[in-house]
Amino acid sequence: MRPCRWRRAAGLLAAILVFGANAQETCLTCHGPGGNSVTPGVPSIAGQPRLFIETQLVLMREEIRPAPQMLPLVKGMKDAEITRLAEHFSKLPAKSTETARPDPRLVQRGRDRAKALRCGVCHVADFKGQKQVPRLAAQRYDYLAAEMRAYRDNRRKGGDTIMAAALYGVPDADIDALAHFLSRLP
Amino acid sequence: MVAPRPGKMTETPAGEIPVAKLKAPRGFKVELWATGLPGGRAMALSEDGKKVYVGTRAIGRVYEVTDAGDKRTVRIVAQKLTQPAGVAYKDGALFVFAIDKVLRYDGIASNPNAQVQDLTAKFELPPKQHHNWKYVAFGPDGKLYVPLGAPCNICEPEKEYSQIRRYNADGSGKEVIATGVRNSVGFDWHPKTKELWFTDHGRDWMGDSGPQDELNRLAKPGANFGFPYCHADGKQDADFKKKDGCKDVTRPVALMGAHAAAMGVKFYTGTMFPAEYRNTMFIARKGSWNRSKPNGFDVVNVRPGADGKSAKVTPFLTGFNESKDGYKFWGRPAYVAQMPDGALLVSDEQVGAIYRISYEKPAAGKAKQK
Repeated sequence: MRPCRWRRAAGLLAAILVFGANAQETCLTCHGPGGNSVTPGVPSIAGQPRLFIETQLVLMREEIRPAPQMLPLVKGMKDAEITRLAEHFSKLPAKSTETARPDPRLVQRGRDRAKALRCGVCHVADFKGQKQVPRLAAQRYDYLAAEMRAYRDNRRKGGDTIMAAALYGVPDADIDALAHFLSRLP
Repeated sequence: MVAPRPGKMTETPAGEIPVAKLKAPRGFKVELWATGLPGGRAMALSEDGKKVYVGTRAIGRVYEVTDAGDKRTVRIVAQKLTQPAGVAYKDGALFVFAIDKVLRYDGIASNPNAQVQDLTAKFELPPKQHHNWKYVAFGPDGKLYVPLGAPCNICEPEKEYSQIRRYNADGSGKEVIATGVRNSVGFDWHPKTKELWFTDHGRDWMGDSGPQDELNRLAKPGANFGFPYCHADGKQDADFKKKDGCKDVTRPVALMGAHAAAMGVKFYTGTMFPAEYRNTMFIARKGSWNRSKPNGFDVVNVRPGADGKSAKVTPFLTGFNESKDGYKFWGRPAYVAQMPDGALLVSDEQVGAIYRISYEKPAAGKAKQK
């Protein structure tokens, strides 16, 4: 597995902007082949809704969503380039990169909790996301588990707070089951 | 789908805002007054009304609109803040309330480079974010009124949430004046009685029909408005049940519609509009999401009854949503402000614009409103 080198990515992007190569290749340095991440802590971006990617890149560029690794990449990026990247990645097929065998008991618990917490209302029934709402299906387990905790504990700053409300009081064990279930979905 | 509708983070050019679709009663004129304010919502005016400060949520900015008579210019006065929705202006100072910050800009209307004072520590704002973006305003008592919403859709929150507080302008003298308030993001004071009237959003996921949003009157400090046990319609909560949950709960003066998102409240004190509007309220309803059919997406006129215990709600500005049965909206009215000449400003959070509504008595015999 090739480690994610965001400093190198920043240099690469600078070169790309100068020489006019494909900026999206830079993103793959960290976000993985085809936008499906094989790096712990780094999310998959393949198949995310266009508006979701666009919104998040704007929030990072405006330094509203703190993302120190992304900032050098998006700083000064024009709206049109953000839209182009969002369009590109929204069309790539998402693929789970989880390799460990799923635990049927956890999958079932995750499915039950997702139903009880109405995750599918906004993330839609197959959890592929829509508009400003991200895709959860096939997202990395570690990323989902960490971000859900961050939302619940008010550590994730910037953007919408509705996930803090959705996960209000949800215990760690349920979050882990949700992440397990979602990360294995196609 | 009953999921939240996306806002817009980018500028909407004036030519793409169909202001001609907005309808108001005969004699009222609606114009596009300012554009280029993505996410713009609450407005605070300088003394002479030449500067309008506009708060936002997700995009993290506060705008300053300068009125040069025939046109308006916009600049960003603050950015990178976490939902700086609250703006208030008093004695030459602009107050900005983000979820986790309180800032003051002295003399900003005349000095664009005004130094910023950080008052955050004084106000002791609690850490949870949801429903803690704020509407803030100075009351007739000179105090600064600050709501702290429930950090959830429905829950029994910690004691520093679901309430309205007031403070001295420097953050001292904190006092809780209303409890059981789920999420109030709009209020004003009756011009004669000086009582506080505030809107409060009802909870989600209890069905299309309710609970309704509330318009409340605070007759005396300390009243309880029911959250989370007792809703507007006098209905007990579906998830948090308590024996006599509605006992000693102050019920709303008016029901503002299920999921309609009743936001900004403004008592009209001007002389431009017909006399019957004096001391009545204009309330912006940003529009529903947690409801299969749309509700709100308008500005209503609310006339308090003589007893102060009831009120009549009448549509005033409509046309933001183009379908009665579906979500075909292009704009979302959020707040109302009154200009020195008595005209109204209405902010539209979806397209980042401000409309101006003025009145001229229709000429006698004129058959139709233009």
